[in-house]
Amino acid sequence: MDRSLFKRMMNGVSVPLLLSTIVLAVYGSVMVWSATRGMVGADALFKRHLTGLAVGLLPLAVLWFIDYQKLKGWAGPLMVALSLLIISPRIPGLGNTAKGATSWLKIGSVSLFQPSEPAKLIFIVVLAAVIAGYNGKIEAPRDVLRVAGYAGLPLALILLQPDLGTGLVFVVVALAMLLVGGLKPRWFGVFAIIAVLMVAAVITLPVLKTYQKDRLLVFVDPTRDPKGAGYNLAQSKIAIGSGGLTGKGLQNSTQSRLNFIPERHTDFIFSVVGEQLGFLGAVMLLGFYLALLISSLSIATSSRDLFGALIVAGIIGMWTFQILENAGMTMGMMPITGIPLPFMSYGGSFMITNLAGVGMLMSVWSRRYGT
Amino acid sequence: MPTFSEQLKGRFAMLGLVVLLVLGSLLIRAWSMQVLSGSSYAAQADQNRIRQITVDTARGRILDRNGVPLVTNRAVMSVTGDPTLISRKPVIARLSTAIGVPVAEISRRLASYKTERLKPRLLAIDVPMSTVAYLVEHAPEFPGVAVQEAAVRQYPQGSLGAHVLGYTGEISEAELAAEKLPDYRLGDIVGKTGIEAQYDKVLQGEKGFQQLEVDSMGRVRRVVSEGKAIPGKDVMLTIDSKVQAVTEQALADAIAEAHRSNFVKARAGAAVVLDLQTGEVLAMASAPTFDPNQFIGGIKPEVWASMTATDSEYPLNNRAMMAAYPPASTFKAVTGAAALQNGIVQPHSAFMCKGKWTTMGEAWSKWCWNHSGHGAIDFTEGIVQSCDSVFYEIGYRMYKAKGEPLQAFAKSMGLGSKTGIDLPGEVPGRVPDAAWKKAYNANYPEAQAWLGGDTVNMAIGQGDLLESPLQVASYYGALGDGGKVAKPHLLKSVLGADGTSVLETKTEITHDPGITAANLATMRDALVGVTTRGTGRAVFAGFPYQVAGKTGTAQVNNKDDYAWFTCYAPANKPRYAVVVLVEQGGHGGSVAGPAARQILSALLNVKYKPVHAVDVSR
Repeated sequence: MDRSLFKRMMNGVSVPLLLSTIVLAVYGSVMVWSATRGMVGADALFKRHLTGLAVGLLPLAVLWFIDYQKLKGWAGPLMVALSLLIISPRIPGLGNTAKGATSWLKIGSVSLFQPSEPAKLIFIVVLAAVIAGYNGKIEAPRDVLRVAGYAGLPLALILLQPDLGTGLVFVVVALAMLLVGGLKPRWFGVFAIIAVLMVAAVITLPVLKTYQKDRLLVFVDPTRDPKGAGYNLAQSKIAIGSGGLTGKGLQNSTQSRLNFIPERHTDFIFSVVGEQLGFLGAVMLLGFYLALLISSLSIATSSRDLFGALIVAGIIGMWTFQILENAGMTMGMMPITGIPLPFMSYGGSFMITNLAGVGMLMSVWSRRYGT
Repeated sequence: MPTFSEQLKGRFAMLGLVVLLVLGSLLIRAWSMQVLSGSSYAAQADQNRIRQITVDTARGRILDRNGVPLVTNRAVMSVTGDPTLISRKPVIARLSTAIGVPVAEISRRLASYKTERLKPRLLAIDVPMSTVAYLVEHAPEFPGVAVQEAAVRQYPQGSLGAHVLGYTGEISEAELAAEKLPDYRLGDIVGKTGIEAQYDKVLQGEKGFQQLEVDSMGRVRRVVSEGKAIPGKDVMLTIDSKVQAVTEQALADAIAEAHRSNFVKARAGAAVVLDLQTGEVLAMASAPTFDPNQFIGGIKPEVWASMTATDSEYPLNNRAMMAAYPPASTFKAVTGAAALQNGIVQPHSAFMCKGKWTTMGEAWSKWCWNHSGHGAIDFTEGIVQSCDSVFYEIGYRMYKAKGEPLQAFAKSMGLGSKTGIDLPGEVPGRVPDAAWKKAYNANYPEAQAWLGGDTVNMAIGQGDLLESPLQVASYYGALGDGGKVAKPHLLKSVLGADGTSVLETKTEITHDPGITAANLATMRDALVGVTTRGTGRAVFAGFPYQVAGKTGTAQVNNKDDYAWFTCYAPANKPRYAVVVLVEQGGHGGSVAGPAARQILSALLNVKYKPVHAVDVSR
């Protein structure tokens, strides 16, 4: 290793980011351990969670070492790779269907990973490369159309999977990056109108699967399906509310232990936090997220170029939205979608992607002074 | 114009603001749910996981005064079904065939009492072992069906004392709605009649409960807390099972005797034996009777229909205290005592019986049962011979006297009101007077006036006068015990878990008309005369104890005469009061009297030989 590179690396450790990442990973591990107690194969699940964490260190390190600026020139090939990744589960022999959506990449009987997870990061890099080309000012309809095209193609592909959750992440990520990338405010208005029209079309036209529609509509009317999606929401709210100020203690909560909370170690891990550790546990978690996002914001403003700032903005948008959507859905503020909670939920692909995101932030931070 | 770097900072500040808004709104939401509404959610969480079920306990036994068991419990096999079974029609159909209960009935039982969602429902009880074996062998075909031990009532003495003991059954919706039984739930077995109903609370015991923790599938994970059930207490009755058996036999024999003397419509009757000093009921019989075993596990509709049909003579009715009859000549003891107390007659006041009584004029003339007349006769002999003319005359004098002295005296002995016996369904009988008649005939103004004939009729125990056999026994007992009416009762004591008495019934004097000792002696001599030289002499010929008794033969519209005999004995040292009534049995001295002798023989350890007596009096 070249001496100057090593020096840069050490220079490039953002202590607040690293600390908040470690604290969140530990917090998440404790909660996954506690949530899986009493489940069939609890120890194996917990081990797989720790494995995901360990494996995630590799992309974290690699992306940290690679100069992110080199990625800028790869926008075209990355776009192709992104599209292939998104449609890969549809390729015969590679896909695996779960809950009506084909979302796992599989070879033989071995499930590899969920392509939608790394797709989020690649989407951010591609979009950052495109937007950075406008130097912080996107005004002309032609430019807007081009950016919209780069964002819209992967979005359309992911919605066709159908993977509404990841699609929503793409939308929010794109909005965050367009805000930083200098899209004129009136274009946000245009996008808003288009979005409303599309939602109206989606609800009336038979595009969404029934279970997806149910999940969305239950949010509007919880009595619509008390034993299905509405039941999950009600039980999640009971769990969180009954945690009170200090919670019922790890492993000790009745809603989790007696299986009232569905998918409690994945999508509903926040319900377990709320029930077992109470309001104090929730405040702690939100505090750690605040530290993570603030340190990310400080990395973004220190970026030596717009491309780096856009990558960070995309990652901040991704995390913020996932936190809002996941924690919000468990408390009945947001519709129920399959979006996990960053660094907390069980799930290898998801964990690895988030750690890779941290690696990219480190890369931007460590190169803030130029080469 | 801001520099590019400043512009970027502004945009990230906006992004930071969004981050703060997102985290802040989540924080506020968590605060509102966990801190503000935490207790309400905590209650919901408990409601989610805690289910309470009741634990039934064994019903107390019923014993006779010597500890002989009359009602006990028998361990049987029962079939229960999980309430979720209701949606599994094929299982219900198979089960119906196996246990012989209709599909509709199984479904009804599974759907009943929604409050206890976890409690298995009873589908069949007292199931034969062959059925149990079949269900166990084919268990996989019957998911949610369980075979369990259960207890049902057992009657070691058969139908002995059935009317006193009563029977049990599943609590009805009406009983629950009436809230007479506040702690009870649908599906409970409760006493329906008799002692079973009267002392249900004591026999029932206290249910236990279990709080179970269940998971989201409703599977029980553990017992959170439980309250142990307290078994029902045993009840010891004043009934003597031997005397009860003799009394029931005597009543049945009396009905058979009535048939022999051509009173073929005799099918029903009642008999009561009291310990006259304490009011303890030693025996109480009613005919026709029933088999309490038929109520186990729910009575079959066709059996119930046969027990309640118009021509059934209503075997479930306890005629000893749930029915009232004209007391006929047995009432002459009341009329006589009332006349003595009011100074209307003296023991040897002279009367003349010409067979037809005409004091109120020819138009209101009345016949003595002895149409040829008793001739010159005094008050005491009037009782001995049951002379109607003497009592018509006394009745007329009572009518002329102020303040309805006959009614007043009858009421002072407790007639016209319930004795207060500890059995449900007692009737008060009726002592008619001017006020009653006016109210009774409210719609018939011409029939409202109380007439001389009314009191005259009442004096010989006819007219509108009604008494239950228990009331008759009760006031005859009083005549033998200083005139004091002791409240008849059946509960001797309640036994605790160790078999010792925790509660005892004390003797309670409910009425004391204050009859003088001289008048009581006059009455005793007259009533002893009845069984030695009067209408009951044939019945008690050769009986080693003195019996103070009275025959009665009641006239009832469109029916054959009702036969009465009532007494207390021994006359010189009174201990027992006995009454026997046979509906449409004919003459008291011929039919009811021998039954009373049969009962007294058992009470006084006298060898009994059936007697045939002929009585023509009324």
